[in-house]
Amino acid sequence: MTFWGALLQNGTYQAVSGALFKTQRRQFVILASLPLFWIVFANLGPIVEMFWIGFLDSYPPKVGYEPQFTLANWAAFFQDRVFIVPFFRTLAFSVIFTAITLLITYPVAYFLAKHVKRKNQLLFLLLLLIPFWVGEIVRTYAIMILLGNNGAVNLVLKSLGLIDRPIPFMYTGFSLGVGIIYLTALYMLLPLYSALEKIPNNYLEAAADLGAGAWTRFRRVTLPLSREGIASGCTLVFLISTGYYATPVLLGGPRSTVFAETIAGFFHVAGDQWPMGAAFSSIMLITTLAVTGLFLKLMGRGGKGMMR
Amino acid sequence: MTRHTRILMSVIYWAFVIYLFVPLALMVTMGFKDSKFIGFPIRAWTVDWYAAVLQDTQVMSVFGYSMAIAIATTLLSLIIGTWMAAFLGPNKFRGKAILFALACLPAVIPGIISAIALRIFARLIELEPGMLAVILGHTVHNVPFVALVVMARLSTQPKSHIEAARDLGADSIVAFFRVTLPYLKPALVGAGIFCMLLSFDDFVRAFFLGGYQPTLPVLIFAKLRSGMSPEINAISTIVLIMTAILGLWAERSMRRLNKGSPQ
Repeated sequence: MTFWGALLQNGTYQAVSGALFKTQRRQFVILASLPLFWIVFANLGPIVEMFWIGFLDSYPPKVGYEPQFTLANWAAFFQDRVFIVPFFRTLAFSVIFTAITLLITYPVAYFLAKHVKRKNQLLFLLLLLIPFWVGEIVRTYAIMILLGNNGAVNLVLKSLGLIDRPIPFMYTGFSLGVGIIYLTALYMLLPLYSALEKIPNNYLEAAADLGAGAWTRFRRVTLPLSREGIASGCTLVFLISTGYYATPVLLGGPRSTVFAETIAGFFHVAGDQWPMGAAFSSIMLITTLAVTGLFLKLMGRGGKGMMR
Repeated sequence: MTRHTRILMSVIYWAFVIYLFVPLALMVTMGFKDSKFIGFPIRAWTVDWYAAVLQDTQVMSVFGYSMAIAIATTLLSLIIGTWMAAFLGPNKFRGKAILFALACLPAVIPGIISAIALRIFARLIELEPGMLAVILGHTVHNVPFVALVVMARLSTQPKSHIEAARDLGADSIVAFFRVTLPYLKPALVGAGIFCMLLSFDDFVRAFFLGGYQPTLPVLIFAKLRSGMSPEINAISTIVLIMTAILGLWAERSMRRLNKGSPQ
């Protein structure tokens, strides 16, 4: 007799199983238990705790001192340019990087979905996926080698006689942009590809038969039908690009400090800075989620009018 | 579509491929340079950096540490993620959309905020920074990915599979382990390997939740801050090759899944 057969014959097991799964309702409760616990404990717990710590005047707890409730941490954000400038810089950078990523990857996704033969699509897609699996730090380092003063780009420009002295690409918003786009491009490309792939070819043929030129076909058929891909790609790239910490540290400079570095500062220096870091993280979380929420709403409702 | 646009599109595609590969190719090449100085041109070649890395006990122990974290994270993520999918996938109940959104939350929160929130949370539950904290952080991040992949696979499973098992005398538990789990296997292999990659490659959570012992990305970051060296290229190249192999393996397993599904 197999293990499972023996298990089903076993009296103790029968009793336990019978008691656990006596009713549909009970079975549902058991199925729901771990997921609900995990969502509350692991997904919501850290966020709620972070918000809460943002309202305390001292944390981690010190012996003999009871933390007091305060709004000072939230107010501090609005009172100092040192905080506000990186914050809006991060948002602006992320919007710009997202837009550039969309412009670069749209034709690539279109080519993959509409021009590559179906049986070759996987191969063409894999070629893009392989670099994408490599981690953040390794790919950031690769960009450092590409753009450094003795890097490949400067070497090529020099040997072509276009420049005498290397162009200082590194430690600027430019090098940061190249790095972030390099890291996030596939988060845009994959949703675009799957949206474009779903558009039936005969829609485009029908539009052509009705006299629509290439541009009209793109604007009135392809673009509106790929709206969902654009929306999810942009959302992903925006959210992910605001969250990078190591890449701005390694590729950015003093004039391109992003908010992630500001936040991290509160957790590195010794002392009592956690509440401020927590409040600032909460402000950033609310803002990024609000921006993406607004964007998705625009794409969902207004998007139809905008694009037709 | 005219011939010209077709050619233009393929040019853009190949330019994009080059953009993705060139930086990595340069990084690999630089690992063979016979000089401590990172930069072009390369005049002499060597494999000494690789030999040095393989003999470096610190690098090797960090590698093992990262690997252990990745394996533990993967196992936990698979269990919780599959359970999550079994709950959120087939059942219909009120508030499901909200629960689904909350379940996916850790996958979309910006990395730095997720890391900070987890760091604060670890203090609350009195978890010291270190291996367990990193495993918790990575698992929180990975569960949504597993759940999504498994849910997609579950939705293609014919109801008759379970009904047949029940008719033959299996209860819910046995039916799950004997029928559903084998059906999910390709999805689980694919999702599991991606979990390993996500955990092994992650920097920001490991950086804020780790103790004194660094993971591999944290070690590379620390080395980079004190200056570039071909040794870092050698380590990165080894990571790159491993990542590519694991990724291709996962892709193959997921691909088989799509072929075998009765749709």
